[in-house]
Amino acid sequence: MATPTQSTPAATQAPVYNPKSESVTAKRIKSAIFHIVALALVVMVLYPAIWMIASSFKPNSEIGGANNALWSANFSFDNFATAMDGIGGVSTLTFFTNSLILAVGAVVGTVLSASVSAYAFARINFPGRGLFFGMMIATLLLPFHVVIIPQYIVFQQLGLVDTYVPLLIGKFLAADAFFVFLMVQFMRGLPAELDEAARIDGAGHARIFGSIMLPLMKPALISTSIFSFIWSWNDFLGPLLYLNTPEKYPLPLALRLFVDQTQSSDYGAMIAMSVLALLPVLVFFLVFQRYIVEGVSTQGLKG
Amino acid sequence: MIDRRKFLTTVALGTASAAFLSACGQSSSSGQTGSADKPVTITYTWWGNDDRAERTRKAIALFETKNPDIKVNGNFSDFAGYWQKRATEAAGGGLPDVMQWDLSYLRDYGQRNQLLDLGTVKINTDGFDKSLLPSGQIKGKTFGIPTSTNAFAVYYDPAKLASLGIAEPDGSWNYKEFNAFLAEVGQKGNGTLFGGTDYTSVWWNFNIWLRQNNIKAFTDEGKLGFSKDDLKKWWNLSADLRGTGAIVGEDKTTQLLPKSPFGSNVTATEVTWDNFMAGYLADSGAKELKLVPVPSDDPDNLGLFLKPSMLMVASAKTKYKDAAARFIDFMVNDPEVGQIFKTSRGVPASKTQRDGTTFEGTDKLVVDYEKSIEKYLKDAPEPPIVGFGTLESTFKRVSSDLNYGKLTIDGAADAWFKEAEDLIKQNA
Repeated sequence: MATPTQSTPAATQAPVYNPKSESVTAKRIKSAIFHIVALALVVMVLYPAIWMIASSFKPNSEIGGANNALWSANFSFDNFATAMDGIGGVSTLTFFTNSLILAVGAVVGTVLSASVSAYAFARINFPGRGLFFGMMIATLLLPFHVVIIPQYIVFQQLGLVDTYVPLLIGKFLAADAFFVFLMVQFMRGLPAELDEAARIDGAGHARIFGSIMLPLMKPALISTSIFSFIWSWNDFLGPLLYLNTPEKYPLPLALRLFVDQTQSSDYGAMIAMSVLALLPVLVFFLVFQRYIVEGVSTQGLKG
Repeated sequence: MIDRRKFLTTVALGTASAAFLSACGQSSSSGQTGSADKPVTITYTWWGNDDRAERTRKAIALFETKNPDIKVNGNFSDFAGYWQKRATEAAGGGLPDVMQWDLSYLRDYGQRNQLLDLGTVKINTDGFDKSLLPSGQIKGKTFGIPTSTNAFAVYYDPAKLASLGIAEPDGSWNYKEFNAFLAEVGQKGNGTLFGGTDYTSVWWNFNIWLRQNNIKAFTDEGKLGFSKDDLKKWWNLSADLRGTGAIVGEDKTTQLLPKSPFGSNVTATEVTWDNFMAGYLADSGAKELKLVPVPSDDPDNLGLFLKPSMLMVASAKTKYKDAAARFIDFMVNDPEVGQIFKTSRGVPASKTQRDGTTFEGTDKLVVDYEKSIEKYLKDAPEPPIVGFGTLESTFKRVSSDLNYGKLTIDGAADAWFKEAEDLIKQNA
């Protein structure tokens, strides 16, 4: 009963030109279209992940090939059991631990060394700074594959093959020019008045770096950590070349061992292990992703 | 400035020390040896999946109990990564002592003196078929000892043929009969089951056909031993089948990757190496697959041969030649090792190992197949030329263009010959 009485004034108002109400409906339609398109894109982007998770519960013979169904009637956890069994007497947990050691080592090393180097490039006016900065940028342009063999020879002569040293030493020596560059750019954006004030108060470089720069650089440090964690977690070629003992292998090497084109391939176990291997990265990202947003929003600190 | 006398002394000293050093090298030609108290450690590396890692671990443990003076450090990776790692190590001078090897890389590493001449160490080859050993030899030097063999065969799924009401083939067929068989499967399969993949798109099939016609694929000088007309004749063999149900289309094959059409239950047959049996069974979930010989227009010459599915090699720079040789000997000859690996490396190449192994189920099928073709076997071809892998993949690519209809048979033959001749010239 209430509806028709209420609709009458609306109907009488209709002929009156009301740009506001029109734009509200237009906005609603636009927003609906936007959400539909966005949802379609999300489905497209997420499909591989959904496919992977669904396949990890399917028997090997029903994965890929002529099988298009996403879900299988033969749902089981067998793939996970095989994946957790390990390879050649090495337990899967060992591979996880190794990956974790390498990834955490990479994060610690990169954050420590890159931030110190970036401070030098951004704030200390030492002779040859431009030249060294240029050289550092030049290493970005050098493809990794060019230096593989010379690097291998060096580490081999030093007797460091089959240790984690070749995989981590570069991280502790700021060899990842990308991160140094990222931090230099970030530091250049920080007001120089802050360090000047600190210097007047009697702070040296160590104090300025530790008490002024590091806290302000949190967003850059976090994005560096995220990237170096993920890159190290996914690195295949480095561990492949430098590690010889299966007990030292990280996950990416182990993952490949389920798929062998010259014999039989256990896609199910490989996919199950991929799902497991993805979890730490996902958790790492979810935990730190909050800080990225926080970092970006507090970045508007200008003098 | 260096005067003449000083120069001469330096050269003399240099030559003397070089001679001394090389003498040292020679005196220790059998390498360092160990004892039970102080064992030497050799490294062994292989490619393969988790199953092979487990079996190899057992074999190594057995070797160490039988040879307390040698310890073996094993490590493994997947096939693609394996060769990346070997290339880096070879450049860095640090190849592992003993390695599992693939035929297509033997000439490349052998010619660059990276591999040990196994003829200079003690490895028992009495149990090997004499037609097989040349495949590990280059110019009189033995670089590789085959662990196991595989042979070409036609696979079929008896259950699928039965469901279409088609009789199982007995394997004595010529190309015309084989084509008719594929066409029948395609017709009755009605778009859901195809006869097979285009058998003319695989290099090894072509190679076998050449052998059936007494043509050598490569001359002793490493050139192509067949003519463009031979290749055209070969691609013409299945010309009537392309685009029909007898042959699964190239687009469909690509959709099915990484599995093969046969492993995906889309075709009823496949022509390939007999060691793919386990893989096909796992991929397709089929209860049983059978093997018969390839077709031939000459019933007495099937062109078949045993190919080493993998070889054992040692690094030329190994310090433990004697230990390496003993480990290789153990891996290829010991019956207990055969019992551990069964046919997962292929059918054991050495008779002592083969006879000491009991084969059951699928393993037995493959072994029985190789036994059944014994009388047709001829000498294995020499290790393929450098760059053979590229030739093989080009063959596949050009044939798939042919199947897509992008190339005519004449055009395909021209395209392949041009690429092959360029490649051979480059590597010469």
